[in-house]
Amino acid sequence: MTALNPSAPAKPGAAPPSAIRNLVRLVLSEYFVLVLCAVYALAMGPFVPELWSWEVASNILSDMMPLLIVAIGQTFVLVIAGIDLSVTAIISMAAVVGASVMSETNGYLSGGPLAVPAALAAMVALGLAIGTLNGLAVTRLNMPPFIVTLATRMFFAGSAVWFTTFHTSSSSIAGLPDSFTAFADASLLGIPQPMILAVVVTVVAHLILARSRLGRWIVAVGSNSKAATISGVPVARTIVATFAISGVCAALAAVIYESRMQTGSPITGENILLDIIGAVVIGGTSLFGGKGKVLWTVFGVLFLVILDTSMKLLGTSLFAIYIIKGGVILMAAVIDTLRHRILVTR
Amino acid sequence: MSPPAPLLLVEGIRKSFFGVEVLHGVSFTLGRGEALGLVGENGSGKSTSMNILGGVHQPDAGTMLVEGQPYRPADPGAAIAAGIAFIHQELNLFGNLTIEDNLFIDNFPRRGGLPFINRSAIRKSTQDHLAQVDLDLAPTTPVARLSQGERQLVEIAKALSRNARLIIFDEPTTSLTRREVARLFGLVAKLKARGIGIIYISHALDDVMAVCERVTVLRDGAVVGTGTSRDLGVPRLISLMVGRSIETIFPQRTAPPRPSDVLAVTNLGQPGVAEAITFTIRAGEVVGLAGLMGSGRSELARMIFGLDPFRSGTIAVEGVELRDPTPARAMAAGIAFLTEDRRGEGLLMEAPIADNAVLASLRSVANALGLIDGKRVAAASRTMAQKVRLSTDRVEDTLVKHLSGGNQQKVVIGKWLMRAPRLFILDEPTRGIDVGAKQEVYRIINALVEAGSAVLLISSEIEELMGLSDRILTISRGELTGGFDRLDFDREAIMTAAAVGADHAKVSS
Amino acid sequence: MKSGNRLALLGLQNAPLILFVVVLLTFGLMSDRFLAIANFRNIVIQAAPIGILAIGMTFVLLTAQIDLSIGATMYLTASVLALAFTGLPWPVALLLVTVLAAVVGAINGLIVTVLGVASFITTLSTLFVLRGVAMWMSETRTLPFPDRITDLNRAGVLGIPSAILAFAAIFALAWVVLHQTAFGRQIYAVGEDAEAARKAGIPAKRITFACFVICALCAGVGGFVTVTQIGAVGPKYGDQVEFAAVAAAVLGGVSLFGGRGSVAGTVFGAILIKTVQNGLNIVNADPYIYPLVTGSIIFLAVAVDGLRTRILDTLNRRTIRPLQAN
Ligand SMILES: Nc1ncnc2c1ncn2[C@@H]1O[C@H](COP(=O)(O)OP(=O)(O)OP(=O)(O)O)[C@@H](O)[C@H]1O
Ligand SMILES: [Mg+2]
Repeated sequence: MTALNPSAPAKPGAAPPSAIRNLVRLVLSEYFVLVLCAVYALAMGPFVPELWSWEVASNILSDMMPLLIVAIGQTFVLVIAGIDLSVTAIISMAAVVGASVMSETNGYLSGGPLAVPAALAAMVALGLAIGTLNGLAVTRLNMPPFIVTLATRMFFAGSAVWFTTFHTSSSSIAGLPDSFTAFADASLLGIPQPMILAVVVTVVAHLILARSRLGRWIVAVGSNSKAATISGVPVARTIVATFAISGVCAALAAVIYESRMQTGSPITGENILLDIIGAVVIGGTSLFGGKGKVLWTVFGVLFLVILDTSMKLLGTSLFAIYIIKGGVILMAAVIDTLRHRILVTR
Repeated sequence: MSPPAPLLLVEGIRKSFFGVEVLHGVSFTLGRGEALGLVGENGSGKSTSMNILGGVHQPDAGTMLVEGQPYRPADPGAAIAAGIAFIHQELNLFGNLTIEDNLFIDNFPRRGGLPFINRSAIRKSTQDHLAQVDLDLAPTTPVARLSQGERQLVEIAKALSRNARLIIFDEPTTSLTRREVARLFGLVAKLKARGIGIIYISHALDDVMAVCERVTVLRDGAVVGTGTSRDLGVPRLISLMVGRSIETIFPQRTAPPRPSDVLAVTNLGQPGVAEAITFTIRAGEVVGLAGLMGSGRSELARMIFGLDPFRSGTIAVEGVELRDPTPARAMAAGIAFLTEDRRGEGLLMEAPIADNAVLASLRSVANALGLIDGKRVAAASRTMAQKVRLSTDRVEDTLVKHLSGGNQQKVVIGKWLMRAPRLFILDEPTRGIDVGAKQEVYRIINALVEAGSAVLLISSEIEELMGLSDRILTISRGELTGGFDRLDFDREAIMTAAAVGADHAKVSS
Repeated sequence: MKSGNRLALLGLQNAPLILFVVVLLTFGLMSDRFLAIANFRNIVIQAAPIGILAIGMTFVLLTAQIDLSIGATMYLTASVLALAFTGLPWPVALLLVTVLAAVVGAINGLIVTVLGVASFITTLSTLFVLRGVAMWMSETRTLPFPDRITDLNRAGVLGIPSAILAFAAIFALAWVVLHQTAFGRQIYAVGEDAEAARKAGIPAKRITFACFVICALCAGVGGFVTVTQIGAVGPKYGDQVEFAAVAAAVLGGVSLFGGRGSVAGTVFGAILIKTVQNGLNIVNADPYIYPLVTGSIIFLAVAVDGLRTRILDTLNRRTIRPLQAN
């Protein structure tokens, strides 16, 4: 959202009652997508009362976590006016590589005390490596991010499937250690562990993007890379950093997905690409760079997950889910666009 | 019989953007074959008035008559159809298309009744129009390959191809070489002789005086005076524009240069760009670099700042060699660089003032943990805004794109002043900004130099160079061709030295 | 310039072609069946559907927009066609889906131009809606087509297969529109700078709108050609083809930021991708490595192109003084 000013001064003159004014202010603020989530959940209340139950709410939250982590990584890349289509392939690849290390049936470190930590390290390193590769191809070889990541997506999605065939005759690598699969369901102080991970990622990402020098560089490169160069910003390194961040985030998401699925499947995350980019863009991050916030992405992902969950709860058929989902995303985008027009004319 | 209606009559035009009125009833007239100058400070509403005339914006109130007929274009197409051509401040050509395609982009002649473009017709016609503006280029040349001056001429050729009755020039000379300017003026005279009316907007008041019979002055969106060039005179124009009189444009400096060198460039060379360039700049000294456009003056600046490569020679700042310069290293050595392309390379247009201001000094606004501190950003930006006398102190929520040209330039200068540079390289620091803002920029430069910094000043305006510099070097074809001390400044001699061998300059590919 | 340099330059300028030849030779050396004329015919036939889709995508990309809904459009039009064939005479059925495709494109175009919603998000949502509608109409079943349709695959004129004819016709039409009509040149202007286009008196919104309609029509035709080849339409039909179409266009030099590229490049891109897949097929490669090789080739092609642009830019840089001959 390009909220010019979160608390845009209301026009003087006929002052509306303060409640309405606050509401108007909220709709015009960067919390708009959050408001949209609430409105949607309220509107769906009569049809799917379960939506408001504690159980479903916590389901929504836990469903949200891995998606949120990848989407946050994607946010960084979108802010520099790039795009990372390879995230789903990184998730698949990390899932099978992690499993190949720690699987108790035939993993490289099967049963060893370091199996799980080594697997986690391998997954993160893999995300970092593929992300860096993407970034270097963009900066050193002067290639458009779309095509670089489309190619690495093809390559690594294919590799994940191929890699699996070396480790198992079935379609996925099973036998993950309990200590790993427990991660998805375990809680620390009553908070689910994946959520802790996601919150940590969110906070760190927020600090990087909004408060660090790197974050300022990223925004500057996305708005005008020539001006950034002349202001002493190491443009190439900044671009590589965003892809690396995206790669690492995808690998972290893979940890949650894999732990929840309890198996290392090469199709982990295969179908979530449009959800990821869609969530970030619904949140308000621009595909043309220079504009984006981690918080917006949190709201965007929340919106998408509430939408998906409510559809599932409705128990409608797949086609209805598709139609409603598309319709609601479109409506959100239209409202957002109109909202912007109101914002600039105020 | 009543006297014939003027070519254009504009009466009481008002226009608001987002609830703020920026034009408060603008009126003027223009006769056939006449050139009317339109002058005013940055943001006084010159371009907005012309945008209304050219159909880009719709007026909120007021009337316009073209040859006595009511005129109210709904869009730019309607203005073009009515014979009104608008050559925008930011040229409006498409770099990815050829000259001929650009000329006919909204009005391709068809072949018979078929929807196909009649190539032979447009090629012929393009050749004719290019000849009229003395441009010797193939109609199929992509516009991306043209220099700014050539593009300007293509825009004029386009206006001619539409049989324009009125041509609006919005700051046409900002990126032209002197020779191209002379060519443009010759062309304007020809157009006038053909009965075409001209509206000419510029901050170069001498040019306005030379080209126009009459001048209209705008201030804060209202006409504050109209008169013939002869009666008005530049000083009167200035006082009408800024609401006060400006006596000395170039403020006096008291402290003389100090003996120590801040910059020492030795034998700098890059094949095809520069050859054996050697010079120094002392602390507290302004060295002017005079050269024609394309002489290598900007390239030299970019090499020193680490933006362009060089193959031989050395650059030393305060006695320390700057090895393999990159912008970051040059900045660490105390160099700052104001680019000639403010919009393209100087600013994040969509970002607020504050974000632009601190971009080159992020470390100084970080807290102990290394995190950027919003309060410090705001405080530092506000200090900067005061120092350069920015028009607003709402630094956190004013986007740079909403500032006038002069204020945008002040933001870029302020960004660099924040680093207290030892050497400030200024490439065309006053391009496109009004006299008042110019004077402020000169004041800022002087203050910096008096504090002991060195300045390398590049400018196409010889008066500006002579008014500010302690020393002027001339550059031509990538070689230094002369040096003048303040006492020997001589306009003709400098211009001659700057033009040495320029006639033979070739563009090779 | 020395002749060696000139040769290097020539090589660089034609780098994509050289890569294509290298691909041909490599597969040619591995299998003599590959370089047979009949096989080339096969490649072009296989490339026809994606090539047609990519030509439509090129129009949208040239205006600096994107259309993610082409796969869904293709699925919807093919499903409706399959249903229509059961009741309506075939010319009416074809007319019906043509109108349907145009309407889909018009909806995308209207949302983007009139409401001002970003095309990525617009077409992402219409992707879901259109797929949903198609699944609803087909009850998520696989719908067969009558033999009359699949016969078209084997039909042809003067021995040229129908798919190639359709591909060539659409390519020729697109080329003429883009290069020989005012509308085509204006598409390039809008893609370069929409605001400047408006100021130059070009109806930028109408042009963008028209490109979405063209893209959807191409999706319809591409879908139809696919149907003649596979004879049925199921729920996975057209899934993710939008990426393949964009890949073909970008491989052929079309910029995602508008205003750059041509349909000739797009056709080349589509054929290159299919050549690789066909070659892998012919040399009996392990199916698992298909995506690896295809991905690598796309990467390589675009990397070479990036390098080429960079070197050509350096070579074409304006010089201020004569280069010393040494
Ligand atoms: N599209 C727009 N939206 C909002 N404000 C605008 C717009 N165009 C112009 N303005 C405002 O209108 C005022 C007049 O601007 P205008 O561009 O006409 O000035 P100008 O006289 O041409 O200045 P300069 O000499 O810098 O070109 C300025 O305050 C500017 O910020
Ligand atoms: Mg202006």
